[in-house]
Amino acid sequence: MPYDLTVNGQHHRVDADPSTPLLWVLRDHLGMTGTKYGCGIAQCGACTVHIDGTPARSCQVPLESAAGVNVTTIEGLSPDSSHPLQQLWVEMNVPQCGYCQSGMLMAAAALLSKIPNPTDQDIDSYVDNICRCGTYPRVRAAIHKAAAGSKA
Amino acid sequence: MGTMPNLSRRQFIVTAAAVGGGMALSVVPAEAAFLGTEPWAASDGLAGAEFSPWISITPDDVVTVRVATPEIGNGVMTQTPMTVAEELACDWSKIRAEFAPTSRDYRENGVYAPGNSPTGYFSGRSTSEDRMKLLLQVGASARERLKTAAAATWKVPVSEIGAKDSVLTHTPTGRTLRYGEVAAKAATIKLDVEPTPKPQSEWTLLGKATPTKLNNADIVNGSLIYGMDVRLPNMVYAALRQSPVHGGMLKSYDAEKVKSMPGVLAVVTVDPRETPGLAMKSGAPFGYGDTHARSAVAVIAEHYWQARKALDALPVEWDDGAGAQWKSTEQMVDAAIAALDKPSESIEKATGDARLIDSQDKIVEAVYVTPFSDQAPMEPLNSTALVTADRVDVWHPGQQSRQAFWVAADEAGMDPSKVFYHQTFIGGAFGRRIFGDDLRMAVAVAKKFPGRPVHTIWSREEQTRQGKYRPLVATKLRAGLDKTGMPAAFIAHQATKGHFPRLADTPYALGCIPNVRVDAQELPFHVITGAYRGPGYNSYAFMIETFIDECALAAGMDPLEYRLKLFAKWPDPGWTKVLKEVADKSGWGKTLPKGAGQGIAIANWGMNGKPQAGTTVGVVATVEVTKSGILKVHQIDAAFDCGRVVNHDAALNLVQGGLIFGLNMALNEEMNVKDGRMVEGNFDQYPILRTGDTPVVNVHFGGLSGHDRFAELGEPPAGPVGPAIGNAIFRATGKRIRSTPIRKHDLSWA
Ligand code: FES
Ligand code: FES
Repeated sequence: MPYDLTVNGQHHRVDADPSTPLLWVLRDHLGMTGTKYGCGIAQCGACTVHIDGTPARSCQVPLESAAGVNVTTIEGLSPDSSHPLQQLWVEMNVPQCGYCQSGMLMAAAALLSKIPNPTDQDIDSYVDNICRCGTYPRVRAAIHKAAAGSKA
Repeated sequence: MGTMPNLSRRQFIVTAAAVGGGMALSVVPAEAAFLGTEPWAASDGLAGAEFSPWISITPDDVVTVRVATPEIGNGVMTQTPMTVAEELACDWSKIRAEFAPTSRDYRENGVYAPGNSPTGYFSGRSTSEDRMKLLLQVGASARERLKTAAAATWKVPVSEIGAKDSVLTHTPTGRTLRYGEVAAKAATIKLDVEPTPKPQSEWTLLGKATPTKLNNADIVNGSLIYGMDVRLPNMVYAALRQSPVHGGMLKSYDAEKVKSMPGVLAVVTVDPRETPGLAMKSGAPFGYGDTHARSAVAVIAEHYWQARKALDALPVEWDDGAGAQWKSTEQMVDAAIAALDKPSESIEKATGDARLIDSQDKIVEAVYVTPFSDQAPMEPLNSTALVTADRVDVWHPGQQSRQAFWVAADEAGMDPSKVFYHQTFIGGAFGRRIFGDDLRMAVAVAKKFPGRPVHTIWSREEQTRQGKYRPLVATKLRAGLDKTGMPAAFIAHQATKGHFPRLADTPYALGCIPNVRVDAQELPFHVITGAYRGPGYNSYAFMIETFIDECALAAGMDPLEYRLKLFAKWPDPGWTKVLKEVADKSGWGKTLPKGAGQGIAIANWGMNGKPQAGTTVGVVATVEVTKSGILKVHQIDAAFDCGRVVNHDAALNLVQGGLIFGLNMALNEEMNVKDGRMVEGNFDQYPILRTGDTPVVNVHFGGLSGHDRFAELGEPPAGPVGPAIGNAIFRATGKRIRSTPIRKHDLSWA
């Protein structure tokens, strides 16, 4: 049965099994591959999107409950990569392989919108995504720098 | 290793056709050097004036550099153009990078990687000597042709032409031409002698600039295309299940049960006995032996989740085979340790007379064990293949594209000239993606469903349980200490499956200890092993550096002083420099509260028996252990010597990442076996450190010796972290860590 979705402000109609995870709806039915599959069990955060502004692991959100909400993916974080975190991620060479970074950015962006000036502990609890390349020190530094920049 | 591609003049002569193509490429202006999200999509030939298979320049000045090195996150797509630009003297913002097609290399007889050098098409190592030389020459040769073309245009001597920022200037008159304006002419020029690249002392980019990585921009908006993101017209998805006991075979399955599920198109099998093979000599750098197909069943469906659900619902029975005899990890570890009592006659290293151990003042002896571990790259294994009657196309996040190219041909039974390999970006690899066994499985599935591209995805659980793991290793080390407390002789007995002869590749076995014997034996385990960041080294660094600490203790000496004394005889000053730097910066020897401690370790990856080679990394770990045994790693300090660095920030990033990888390896990682099957399937059972678990990591550059090499930085940091932590735990608690993962040890103390 078809479901109506709003992703990055755009309307989509998707006909798939109601239990299909939003992750695969985005990647496979809608062709938006920025949201990544890493574990499928809410462990890694590579699939993080925003649902009505709150971070969510899209591998755990079935299609039926993604209908009628506003989904934001990495492709919609900003229209032109101008989000301060995106700019700092480039400037500070945060990514290594980059595979986890869509999820990192979505988690970090959600953190900053909730807590504009996060402590290290805030970062630890909001951005607990897995990065096998070990970019954690740079992720932390970039979030702090973004927070400092928004204060200035 | 290390075959230098011969830059013959032939490679700089270009065809008119390639020149003509220049107009076709329309280029968006860019503020920085750039690459496409799918840099394999270009045809085999380069757009624009092709100076060599490596480089072309279009009329709008865009310089395309071909990179024969998969990008696994270490920055080769940026480093390679940087090296070319050093000599080309072009505007960095006009550089564009794309992958050099393996398929063209085959059809043009090794234009990118002549001979069968394993370094050709091997990920990483963009700053190895042969690659640096080649890329600098590519840039210099193109620049001289541009200058010659400008000189011919103005009818002036070449010596009067200067080249800078993609502009050619006639110095006496100040006239200028852009590179793009003379590129077509320049590409046809033959020089009598190729120019010699400038000396390092005149470099302006390498060692000076730290540009942001070219693919960052596409990573941060999600547009970079990894293997997992390949989308092709008409593409279908396959979910794969391989024999849960490695080496087992599919007994039966009931496709009828799932055939009517939504989207399901087919249920297909993979049988290792059905690999057709090629009638020709293999060009696979690592051969086919490590790439065998695994017995498997796959469901093909219109969408991935449909395939996955149907696979989960599919009744399957397996014939487990011989591997089922291994009931538990303990049984395997016991077998490995028992084997150490019957040392092998297979000698890896013998110097002097190791029997002298028994006549020394003191004997130190211990057994060390490291477990099977999975590389666990964040992007699960996947590949896409389109098999038709007359050609095979594959899209693959491969770490060694030439290897994978041949494996694909072998599995398809298709002449390599009809195999088209499209290199994608890679979401981490760490050795898991070297052999091309993943691509073989995808081709084996796709050939049962010809005519449509099949994108085969390993679930995280499938990838974790169907690994090519870091091998389980047990080693007994034994040393005799002389009257001064220094080791006069040592013996190492190793037992493992999938042995990497690396233990003796350390100064201890190469002169610092006069009498040495190292032997090794293979165990009859069924678990499939392979390369894991710093193969062999990642285990032996832990063992040896813990053992040296035990020797220092027996001698009653400080572990830092002990090592400095050992390396006094070693003709590579980098070791001492690294130790001193890391000890100094970490405050080695400072008084710490009870329950806290520091540990030190040092190791080198890549020396291959020689001083002043490879990269030496020294680590000091500062830890604290509560009385109840909870470990907190407060700080990791590291110094390293890879000779010199060409990009400070890229080096820092790699060392930081490598240390954190090594930390996780030591603290957390272990794959277990139960009734022949691999137990752990996902990150809930195979834990990976997160931001909040990561200690302060300080990387110090004062250990660099300045020796004339730019050795690699990806693998070396992973080795010494574990032993530094283990040695620190000993100092904090008195408990000696002789196996990993450390999280399994009871660290409580009174
Ligand atoms: S894929 Fe959703 S949390 Fe890992
Ligand atoms: S950058 Fe590779 S997994 Fe995070």
